[in-house]
Amino acid sequence: MKIQWLLASRYLKGRMQRSVLTTLAIVLGVAILFGMNSLLPPVIESFRHSMYTSAGTVDITISSASNSSFDQSVLDEVKSSDGISYASGYLSKEVVLPASLGGSTNSTSGVSSITLTGVDVASAQSTHVYSLESGRFLESGDTYTALITQSLATALNLKVGDALVIPSSKGTASLTLVGILINTSPDAATQVLVPLTTAQEILNLPGQINTIDIILSASADKTTVESALAQKLGGAFKVGAVETGDELLTMMGMAQNIMLFFGVAALAMAGFIIFNTFRTLVAERKRDMGMLRAIGATKRTLMGMILTESVLQGLIGTALGILLGGLFAAGLLKAMASFIGEYVHVSISGLTFTASNFIMSILLGVGFTVASAYFPARSAMKVTPMEALRPTLTAPEQHKYAVRAWLGLGLCAAGVICLTLKNQYVLSVGLLAFLIGLVLITPALVKPVAVAFSWIYSVVFKRESLLARENLIRQPGRAAITASAMMIGLALCVAMLGMITSLFSGFLGYLDKSLGSDYILLPTSLVLGGGNLGADPSLAQEVRSVDGVGAVTTLRQATSQIDGASIQVIGIDPATYPQVAGLEFTQGDPNEAYAALASGRALIVNGLYASTYKVRPGDQVTLKTSNGDQTYLVVGAGMDYLNAKIATAYISQANLSTDFNTNNDLLILIDRAAGADATAVMTSLQKLANAYPAFTLYDITTFKASQENLFSVAISAMYIFVLMLAIPGLIAMANTMSINVIERTREIGMLRAVGSTRPQVQRMIVEESLLLSTLGTLTGIAVGLFLSDFIVQAMGGIFKLEFYFPTLGVIAAIVVGLSFGILAALAPARKAARTIIVEALRYE
Amino acid sequence: MSIIEVKDLSKEYGQGTAAVTALKDVTINIEKGQFVAVMGPSGCGKSTLLHLIGGLDRPSSGSVAIDGKDISKMDDNTLTEMRRRQMGFIFQFYNLLPVLSAEENAALPLILDGVKPDTARARAREWLERNQMGERLTHKPDQLSGGQQQRVAISRALVSDPIIILADEPTGNLDSRASDEIATVLRNIVNKWGHTVLMVTHDPRIAAYADRIIFLKDGQIVDDTLLDGGKAENALRLKEKVERL
Repeated sequence: MKIQWLLASRYLKGRMQRSVLTTLAIVLGVAILFGMNSLLPPVIESFRHSMYTSAGTVDITISSASNSSFDQSVLDEVKSSDGISYASGYLSKEVVLPASLGGSTNSTSGVSSITLTGVDVASAQSTHVYSLESGRFLESGDTYTALITQSLATALNLKVGDALVIPSSKGTASLTLVGILINTSPDAATQVLVPLTTAQEILNLPGQINTIDIILSASADKTTVESALAQKLGGAFKVGAVETGDELLTMMGMAQNIMLFFGVAALAMAGFIIFNTFRTLVAERKRDMGMLRAIGATKRTLMGMILTESVLQGLIGTALGILLGGLFAAGLLKAMASFIGEYVHVSISGLTFTASNFIMSILLGVGFTVASAYFPARSAMKVTPMEALRPTLTAPEQHKYAVRAWLGLGLCAAGVICLTLKNQYVLSVGLLAFLIGLVLITPALVKPVAVAFSWIYSVVFKRESLLARENLIRQPGRAAITASAMMIGLALCVAMLGMITSLFSGFLGYLDKSLGSDYILLPTSLVLGGGNLGADPSLAQEVRSVDGVGAVTTLRQATSQIDGASIQVIGIDPATYPQVAGLEFTQGDPNEAYAALASGRALIVNGLYASTYKVRPGDQVTLKTSNGDQTYLVVGAGMDYLNAKIATAYISQANLSTDFNTNNDLLILIDRAAGADATAVMTSLQKLANAYPAFTLYDITTFKASQENLFSVAISAMYIFVLMLAIPGLIAMANTMSINVIERTREIGMLRAVGSTRPQVQRMIVEESLLLSTLGTLTGIAVGLFLSDFIVQAMGGIFKLEFYFPTLGVIAAIVVGLSFGILAALAPARKAARTIIVEALRYE
Repeated sequence: MSIIEVKDLSKEYGQGTAAVTALKDVTINIEKGQFVAVMGPSGCGKSTLLHLIGGLDRPSSGSVAIDGKDISKMDDNTLTEMRRRQMGFIFQFYNLLPVLSAEENAALPLILDGVKPDTARARAREWLERNQMGERLTHKPDQLSGGQQQRVAISRALVSDPIIILADEPTGNLDSRASDEIATVLRNIVNKWGHTVLMVTHDPRIAAYADRIIFLKDGQIVDDTLLDGGKAENALRLKEKVERL
């Protein structure tokens, strides 16, 4: 083993430029993987933490299976069960604190939200211990009084006797602090304890609680009591605390998977580069390896030598990738934190560097490197001792690529046919066929592409074209592999840019449709269920009574489960919603769907849910509600702008009230009456909004402009990310060109000896590189176009997107591809031009 | 028992009408402590003979025995071990690893055999010093002249104390002065340390350092002579013989 490590480290040092280029490819892939996995989990956890209502240290906690509130009388049923010593009911909800009421998204010193908890004053202390730092506990007869924790008091600069103003369903509520609690756990740090009736008024949930905490008697068996309770209460309840936001977390989990895909794609491209590099170095070192065999090295020793070099390179690349990934994540976190704080009012905690992330990055980084070097390492075993006695010449490849090319052509044709069938089941098969087909065809394309384009490039490279072309043609296998690495990167660029264009246009369309009103009263967090308190229906009524206001419609929100999967339930008024806004339907007739919503238990699912769970109009689904399991008929699939990315079902507000006890309006869309004075209407509405700090009033033009601006910023960031995907292609090109120059040292020396000038040698290298990048660009555009249509079709079940020819993507691919072709050649060309003739002719 | 016994050795390349006979029914015995040179015109099969004796290639027919062991039927692993422990190779183009120092290159056969690196390096140093390379132990091949590189290669060939040394045109890439130096080293290997050397060369001047010359032509032995004169005289005689053949 030692000789292998010695040789590996020496060879890596000896070919520094190439080692750096190959290692860079690994660095990029690992950086994306490690960085994303350091960043996304804490972001997800911050969301989870802000949405999760934690259970106290009690024996059993009961909540609704649909995570909604339920009638207080359930507590009496629980109390009458055997084995229960104490039971207490409370109503708890996370409430976002707007900036005007002291909210701050500063994760170290600010408070972005509070957990409003209404407790039964008489029984609360029987199930929980509340330790006071100052003041007193809540007493019978208290109404708008509150206890807060020490940390909350410090953050908001409050003491006993001060008023704490929080959002309420009626605008605001002023609570008098009667006590400060000692912090018992991080989860309870933002708790605001109020009498139950006060909480019910603030949240507009009269007579409702959402959690029952139970302390068992000493002799009771927990499992027996749980079973008895489950039987008594039925399927509408569950043992466990209230959990909200699962549907959002599911969506974030998807985002994490997408980032993982990009990281793995980058590593796959690195794999191409590494394979190419090691294949070449085995060819280069045939004489050395032949000598080693001649003096007694076994075949396994040779294979081990190559694999050891790959392990070493993998370790170095992975270590640097982890470092770069950490820095990348830190930078991205800083950028994201302010955005998420402003629009979603969640404080993001710091990066998380877990052992599992380190291990996964190391395994993937080193694993991909070693796996890519495996076949070249195996070919090293075939080097015979006789190689020691032969001159080092890279012979032209002898493979016949014709058979593979025909097979590849057939597969590409099959792929295109699958694409045109517009059938989601054959779509993935078609993509795979197309990709494999193109990889098989590419070696056979080297000659025609080189011949065709050298004719074009000969305008600039008059005398060098012949040599450049022939150099490329004699190694079609290597050219194809290099072009493939570039192909993947450029294909992703073309496809991503196409998808961005489609998404941008699509979402702007949704924006117009979903927010077709003139004004919008928007809650503090853009995520409807994210701690928004909403307002009771009286606000919407007051809005309707404003002079100049036409139609008004509202959205309400609850959460539920269908077959164990979390889903957001949005309540709409089927009569007014289509007048003011409307859903973009992908299945079902809109008029019939809205009519069905008004007349019974019917729902419309959004594209994301319909596509994920294969639900169609006519299907029946069972929603978990506070009234137990309820069957709803699916009458359509559609989506609105704000809820496109979360699994959502739309039902009537009447059913939302019946089944989920939810009556608060979270979003109010307002149309101006024809001929009304816009300024006057805005002024009147603003007066109303001022009494509800949990809402912000927007003129819809202003709001749309801000959303478009948001999109542009996000898309700019995506453009940068997409371009990063092309970088491995650049590395592959530079790697191959530097190898080509090293291999042809004697030949270049000969050219210089017979009269070729230094600039001519440089131009020869540059043109060869351009021809190579042309091949990669053409194949990249072909795959990119295929991918673009594939993505639009694949996402069609979720978002209705139009296919836009990715003109920008194609142009970017051509510019990037050809630029890389020139860039990659610069250093090798300069090196070739500096060749010392006599040394080159002596070169072995 | 001869140290090298070659019996009816033949080697053909290619098949059918395209087949080329490189060696035909060659039989040779070489005694321990002999310095044997193999000469002949280009394409006569001399290098092929060396390759077959060194186990670098397999014969089409016939046998090769080294120290009584028939290597023509050995499996690859056994043959490899034999090359590592009982044979030393010297190549025309030195074939040093460019990334290792002189000492490390010389120690390679021992390191490959699992000998502790310190021990391997110590023995390598001994041979390098004997071959006047003691001051250049840490030099890389690109810091050495051709003659110096060949001395390192010779040290590498001797480090495992082999039974035979096989040299394929060891001076083919050197000027006349360096060639003489190398030929002298090879002579000393035989005289001082009693090794057996089989050398392929086209240069009568270098062949004159040997004890015995075997001439090949068209794959067959045409002459097998012991040399008994002075070097210059032997070189002249060999030159005439080459021209005649």
